[in-house]
Amino acid sequence: MQTSTFHAAPARLGRAFGAWAAGWWRVFRFGATALVMAASPSAYDRATSNLMARQVYFTAWQILPGFIAVCVLLSYMVIRIVVLAAGKYGLAEYALNIAVRVQVLELIPLFVALFVALRSGAAINTEVVLMHIRGDLEALQSAGADPMRHELVPRVVGSAVSVVALTVIGGAIALVLAYVAMYGFSAGGMEDYADVIGSIFDFHVTLGLGLKALFFGLAVAVIPITASLEVPREARFAPIAVLSGMVRLFLSLALIEGASLAVKYI
Amino acid sequence: MEQIPKSAPKPSMAAETTTALPIKHLEFKVAMLLALTLVLSIGFLGYVFYARGVFESTQRVVLVTDDSDGVTVGMPLTFAGFAIGRVRRIELADDAKVRINIDVPTKDARWLRTSTVFIIERALVGGVRIRAATGILEDPPLPDGAVRTVLRGDATEELPKLISTMKSLLENLQAMTAADSSLGASLSNVRTVTDRMAGRYGALSAALGSDENARKVIASIDRANKLLDSLGGVTARLDQTLAKTDQRVFGKDGVMDDAQKAIGQLNAVLGDVRDSLKKADAVLADAQKIGANARAATDDLATLRAEVEASLRKVSALIAEINRKWPFARDTELKLP
Repeated sequence: MQTSTFHAAPARLGRAFGAWAAGWWRVFRFGATALVMAASPSAYDRATSNLMARQVYFTAWQILPGFIAVCVLLSYMVIRIVVLAAGKYGLAEYALNIAVRVQVLELIPLFVALFVALRSGAAINTEVVLMHIRGDLEALQSAGADPMRHELVPRVVGSAVSVVALTVIGGAIALVLAYVAMYGFSAGGMEDYADVIGSIFDFHVTLGLGLKALFFGLAVAVIPITASLEVPREARFAPIAVLSGMVRLFLSLALIEGASLAVKYI
Repeated sequence: MEQIPKSAPKPSMAAETTTALPIKHLEFKVAMLLALTLVLSIGFLGYVFYARGVFESTQRVVLVTDDSDGVTVGMPLTFAGFAIGRVRRIELADDAKVRINIDVPTKDARWLRTSTVFIIERALVGGVRIRAATGILEDPPLPDGAVRTVLRGDATEELPKLISTMKSLLENLQAMTAADSSLGASLSNVRTVTDRMAGRYGALSAALGSDENARKVIASIDRANKLLDSLGGVTARLDQTLAKTDQRVFGKDGVMDDAQKAIGQLNAVLGDVRDSLKKADAVLADAQKIGANARAATDDLATLRAEVEASLRKVSALIAEINRKWPFARDTELKLP
């Protein structure tokens, strides 16, 4: 039945595109709902606060020592390399500028997002798909509790807060290390340093950095949760949900990073 | 297929995975983390505000230029290598001039005077720089909102000129190194000469142009050598001759000896002559005296001579008479006593 498959191909393609678009639409709808809920104080009670705190604890606090160690090592290395390379090409005066831009604006936020995605994004994905397949969420709903408010939004908020917190800590470490790598442990470079930092972080860049960290944080929870909820409620679909969720998350992180670069430099 | 048993509706069940273990001081730890994040964020924002000079009062300088290429908002204005101000705004005025608004903190504004010049420098590598240079720091300070024209110190502006110069230089070089250039011809001549120099007659052939000429010169030199040899022989003989002459002239019994003797004799002769002359002198003196006496006698002599002459004429006539009469006698000479 060659002709029928030939005719069926566009239809299949159309269906696939429709599913893809619907998937992203659910992501955005869920993300928007989560944001609205997170912004409304009535959504928080003792249980949701506790769940949120647990999410933050597992995502950010537990890994904090390791994260700081990796951050220090990686930041110092990258900054030294940038400073040395810039000096070699006679661009030493731009070294600090480049180092801070590369580290604080690009590398650290992306590094944090990937770190949290691998550690907590995958965990959330698995946890929610299991709850979805077991029917816990429906059970909650039938018991009169909003699963969105009690189970999902606290996870999203906890992840977002963790990503922002880790980004802020990592950025602070990178800023301090950039100063040390450039001027050593003396206060002599304070004015130069202030000039450079002042010239980099204008209103748009600072706002962009904040928004990027927020979007990374949202994506890390929203995309795995959406992917978990859209599979049929059978155990064999659990790995597929995790797989598609992680791939989509990775693509989203790349997209957010690319968009932020495009807005800043093009 | 593995079946996950559907559990009874339990609100707390869903969060079991995360709530299974009780966490000590959960709220405190999370609050610590959030507080740290908040403090760092606020501190960072505060530092950025400070670094951007939000907390300090500034005054404005407006720089006017034709071309703001490379100038960006946030770019520093440097004085002696220190950033003393920052570009806030760049706008294109109605007269097509670019107005660069620069904020200078009041504490740094003391470096800017009415005589300060502002320069936009474009380096070949790296970006554009805006510099301020103040020659006389005693001049009155630059007022707020002052408008100044920017000087341009542009390395790239020199480039087209440099490139055209280099182009002509390269063309010259090309012409010089071309196959039919005079330099090439000279070099090929040099090569011919060095080839000849490497030949049988070496540099001589190179100097004279051909082997033929070189051979002639060498033959001439050979002949000159021979000539010099024979000249050597001549000189040797001349030497011998001279030695002999020397001996003959200056040697024992040589010419010089004879001459010496002759001169000695001549001296003697001269001495004799001198004596003779002295005698002659005396004779002359005597003769003088005699002359005086003779004058007196001369008158008598004249008479005597007349008588003798008359006698002679008589004798002559007598002889002529005899000769006529004696025709055989041919000897007519008459010996006078």
